[in-house]
Amino acid sequence: MTQPLLSVRDLHVNFGTGEGDVQAVRGVSFDIGRGETLAIVGESGSGKSVTASAIMRLNFGADVRVSGSALFEGQDILAMSEEEVRLKRGSDIAMIFQDPLTALNPFYTVGNQIAEAYAIHHHGTSKKELRDLVLDSISKVGIPEPLKRINQYPHEFSGGMRQRIVIAMALINRPKLLIADEPTTALDVTVQAQILELISAMQEEHGSAVILITHDLGVVAEVTKRVLVMYAGRLVEVASVEDVFSSPTHPYTRGLLNSVRSLDSERHSHLEPIPGTPPSLIDLPSGCPFHSRCLYAASLNGRCSTEVPELKAVGNSFSACHLPTAELLSLVKAAQ
Amino acid sequence: MTNTNEAVRYMFYFVARRTFFAVVLLFVVSVFTFWIFSALPADPAALTCGKNCRPEVIEANRVRLGYDKPFIEQYGSYMKGIFAGRTYGEDESGIHCSAPSLGYSYDRHECVSSLVAKTLPVTVSIAVGAFVLWMFFGIALGTLAALRRGKWPDHLATVFSVVGISFPSFFLGLLSVLIFVIWTNILPFPHYVGISENPMKWFTALILPWFVLALLSASTYIRLTRNGILEVMNEEFVRLGIAKGLPRKKLIVKYVLRAALTPIATIAGIDLAFLLGGAIVTESVFNLPGLGKLTIAAVVNSDLPILVATTLVSAVFIVIANAFVDIMYGFLDPRVRSK
Amino acid sequence: MKRNRIIAAIATAGLFFSACGGSGMGAQSGEETGGRSATADGIKDGGTLYVLTFQEGASNLDPQRVYTGAELGAYGSTYARTLTSYVPAAGKEGAGVVPDMATDLGTASEDLKTWSFTLRDGVTWEDGSDVTCGDIAYGISRTFAAEVTAGEGPMYATTYLDIAEGDSDFGSAYPGPWLATAEQQALFDAAVACDGTTITFHLKVPVADFAYTVSLLAFGPVPQAQDTADQYALKPFSNGPFKIESYEAGKEMVMVRNENWNPDSDPVRKPHVDKIIWQYGVDEAVIDERMLADSGDDQNAIVYGGIQPENLQTVFGDDSLKDRRTDGFDGFVSYTMFNNETVNCIEVRQAIWLGLDREALRTAAGGPFTGEFAKSFVAPLLATDYEAATLVDGLNEDGTPNVEAATAALDKAKTACPELHARATGEGLRFDHPDSASWQKNIAIWIDSLKAVGVNIIDNPIEPSKYYATINGDRGDLMRSGWAADWANASTVIPELFGAGGGFNYTNNEKDPNFPAFDEKVQLAKSETDRAKQASLWKELNQVIMDNAWAIPGSATKSQNLVGSNVRLAYQWMPFGWYNLGAIGLAG
Ligand SMILES: Nc1ncnc2c1ncn2[C@@H]1O[C@H](COP(=O)(O)OP(=O)(O)OP(=O)(O)O)[C@@H](O)[C@H]1O
Ligand SMILES: [Mg+2]
Repeated sequence: MTQPLLSVRDLHVNFGTGEGDVQAVRGVSFDIGRGETLAIVGESGSGKSVTASAIMRLNFGADVRVSGSALFEGQDILAMSEEEVRLKRGSDIAMIFQDPLTALNPFYTVGNQIAEAYAIHHHGTSKKELRDLVLDSISKVGIPEPLKRINQYPHEFSGGMRQRIVIAMALINRPKLLIADEPTTALDVTVQAQILELISAMQEEHGSAVILITHDLGVVAEVTKRVLVMYAGRLVEVASVEDVFSSPTHPYTRGLLNSVRSLDSERHSHLEPIPGTPPSLIDLPSGCPFHSRCLYAASLNGRCSTEVPELKAVGNSFSACHLPTAELLSLVKAAQ
Repeated sequence: MTNTNEAVRYMFYFVARRTFFAVVLLFVVSVFTFWIFSALPADPAALTCGKNCRPEVIEANRVRLGYDKPFIEQYGSYMKGIFAGRTYGEDESGIHCSAPSLGYSYDRHECVSSLVAKTLPVTVSIAVGAFVLWMFFGIALGTLAALRRGKWPDHLATVFSVVGISFPSFFLGLLSVLIFVIWTNILPFPHYVGISENPMKWFTALILPWFVLALLSASTYIRLTRNGILEVMNEEFVRLGIAKGLPRKKLIVKYVLRAALTPIATIAGIDLAFLLGGAIVTESVFNLPGLGKLTIAAVVNSDLPILVATTLVSAVFIVIANAFVDIMYGFLDPRVRSK
Repeated sequence: MKRNRIIAAIATAGLFFSACGGSGMGAQSGEETGGRSATADGIKDGGTLYVLTFQEGASNLDPQRVYTGAELGAYGSTYARTLTSYVPAAGKEGAGVVPDMATDLGTASEDLKTWSFTLRDGVTWEDGSDVTCGDIAYGISRTFAAEVTAGEGPMYATTYLDIAEGDSDFGSAYPGPWLATAEQQALFDAAVACDGTTITFHLKVPVADFAYTVSLLAFGPVPQAQDTADQYALKPFSNGPFKIESYEAGKEMVMVRNENWNPDSDPVRKPHVDKIIWQYGVDEAVIDERMLADSGDDQNAIVYGGIQPENLQTVFGDDSLKDRRTDGFDGFVSYTMFNNETVNCIEVRQAIWLGLDREALRTAAGGPFTGEFAKSFVAPLLATDYEAATLVDGLNEDGTPNVEAATAALDKAKTACPELHARATGEGLRFDHPDSASWQKNIAIWIDSLKAVGVNIIDNPIEPSKYYATINGDRGDLMRSGWAADWANASTVIPELFGAGGGFNYTNNEKDPNFPAFDEKVQLAKSETDRAKQASLWKELNQVIMDNAWAIPGSATKSQNLVGSNVRLAYQWMPFGWYNLGAIGLAG
């Protein structure tokens, strides 16, 4: 097998706070190949953003502890010097944030900010060259009148337009990996689709790999091939997008599917939220973190509340559940 | 480029509008100030009269000085005096104060405008020097404290803040005089000399007051800067800046400080304006003959003409500073400009 | 307002600083005359003398308007010569008057209503021109100009000079030099006549001590050509050994030697220093610290304004400061006047006197260092005329109230004057006082201590600037005041405060049946030329006032001072209660 672009192994992220340690990510491992698209889904607070940030070493705070490894083209990002990481940021790995309204610096024109993103990693670029590059990138993301627009400030743009600018900025250095952390959540429904399309188109053009973080399974269906499902800082299921939708193996994934209105399927047209709330990351329950909300936990004689389930192969997917594989598969079948 | 022209025109309207409001505000403030002082129980006519005063003398002086006239008329003559000068008293013993006349102080035996002209440079010297110092130290220490959060610069900043907040300025002033002047003789006792007369003496007279005032205000600015920076550091656009791969220095200056200091600049403008109205306690402790001391002496002696004038001068400073700060904010923050 | 806050706060700081001043708890107030600093020991001519003061400026530099004891002495000894002056000496001797610009102490007519003086040769202004008789007459005429001199200075010119009454602001037919018509000016020129170097004063009343009167700066010369009306107070023209080089209130005054002063023409002044610099507006706490540290130029400094109460223990508890400190009377006596027309019953007045907690009042002011309980309206400094009077029977020596005696007196009042008694114990008596922080404290003591006796006090604070103007018209039952003699003669105390038409008599005692006999004696004393006899008359009169309880004496106030270690000849000059500034010298 060829070396994956990024290989994350046993990633842990802890935040020391006044109330205690927040164990935001606990032993996450996954790979992503060149040009591949991967989605991370999960409820709010499950650790998606923290995982993504860890890849770029963007977790800040007074007491942050990150362990594990994140090999990018064979080099461990988590072990690099600050300067080495900086040189990767924005050039090899770029990021798109959730809220385009706050992601742009209000004090500088958008042209300036896009140009800056390029100039940081390309010293000695002439003004003229920069300007052309910026104009080109901004028209590529579909912003009309680029000549006028580059001299405007972020507040003069709509939310969708701003996200286009953020994308233009992220892609100007043709990154090998693009991390998009809920790029459409803050946008109008009509704009959401356009932005997703744009990301896909850009990805195709540049051949970048994309990690798309979302809690919207509808979005996942549109653009990705492989899905990681997170719950309370752990991966609970890893599967192809088809399998996640057609045969979700983990009870949590199933609950998650039930709770959203799928975009392309009539089957799950009613909303059925998962009962209960996610556990506190400071005071984690023993055993499977999902056990208190799980319909099947009772049938396992307390195993769920004492033993942490590891990811295991269930059909084509991987699932972290104590239910015997056969039972899981039969549950899948029953659902179909 | 059309775009720039538009921006210039925009700025022009913005500045014009703010200036107009400032002028209107000044007018309102002047009427109000004048009215307040005319409503005070202290009788300006009685104040021109000594111990052996007789009611007849007070009445005669009242007429002579125009305090018997209705308020509007008094205000009118005052305003006219500002633009055209005014003579106080009618016979040969009358005293002429040329424009801009702000009244005549019978207690000081001088035109108030010349008193202001004499004291203002002192206050400006104190204020500007202290301002430069406290902005420098406030921002530098505040930035260090924010960037080295929880480390020694942060602790030092906390010490500064505690000193600045809990020690009254007269105490720090007195302490500094004791230490540097009386006990160690490092510096002469502050005795103000104009900068044009002797820059060295000017400097040595002001260095203590500058530091004391700066120490006091710096604590506020350390806090403002530190908190501002920490707040901005959590902003999404700063994270995006980091994600772009911005070098740290550039990130701090272009992203963090720019955003954190813009609101501080406006606060600083107003603070400076207040200080220009007279640093009362500091001027008293260090015996610097500035506007603040003039005002305090006028309060003690109920010298109304001086009080009216110094109040107006302070108000002018504050109104101008407000307008200036607004306009400056417009330049600094593109979001404000387009509103 | 502000100052009080600063002082209060510094009082706490004082605890902190006293650690380095050595502890001197238990220091007592007593007479101290300055030790070596009052002598000429090691004196050398030249140098710069500094005067540190918290005052923002001179009370007034205009000779016709100065009326502050210390400043009268300071300016008279430096730039403002007069016809006569006080003897430049410490102690009782300093209260004597000697010729200054005049050749002698003046010649009076038989009826003491005409006085003439002859000017010495060689008395010059700072520009070298002669001081003329006309300059003196012009200076005196300025007192009449209400619009300029405004009653800020003493008014003896208007009460003594023989000019008809009229409708000018001071009730004279002469309105001062600026407003006078030719005829009005003639009235003045007749009263103050010049004939060459001889100046003759025509008075409407006999004045025995007119030689003292003309020692007041208000009777000093002003050259008309230099007169800038109100602004003359910024740069008065000098005829003395020093002239004013610059004056800026809030900052400083620089006095330098007047090259055109002719020592041969001046038998009184012996200047030593080259320059006197007044530093205005220095914080009082800073002044004390500087004087205690005694370093650099501060060794050549004196203070105008005294020592902060919280530092008195340090200064008077440390014997090494013996040669630099003074403690003595400042010439003032504070007192409370009765309106004897409304409080027309001696029993009530005595009851109030007996029941008043004078000790609490003195403690509120700062304790024994601030003064002694007065036993005369004449200050002890006026040694010639001072004698402790016999005070009301039963009055406690230590200033505490004698409630028993007071109640007894009040009981007598019940039958003697039932109406007043009813008002005093019922609705209450109105007390007029300036509305100041210290008086807010004082009035509370008045109210509380008299309540114990059964007398009610109605507090009537008056805006300070309007105080005297107010009680000139509408008087309450009690009024506070303070007074110092204008010259070393009780003629400026007893007639002024209690005599008929006295400039400061707010007591309405004319209505008292005992008044005619009293005033007759006052007139007698005023025209008594034998000083010793006159003095005994004043003492008798003072006793009469006490016997009638027309007013309650408060404190004979004291002041304490500290000078730099190089300062010499800094003696307390009796008539002024401060130093003879022009005479001070510095040790090499
Ligand atoms: N700097 C930090 N300090 C302390 N706790 C943090 C910090 N950053 C994240 N967390 C906590 O870590 C947990 C995971 O957060 P994360 O942002 O990864 O969630 P998410 O899955 O991205 O959720 P969402 O869908 O709401 O974005 C949350 O409970 C969050 O409160
Ligand atoms: Mg997130």
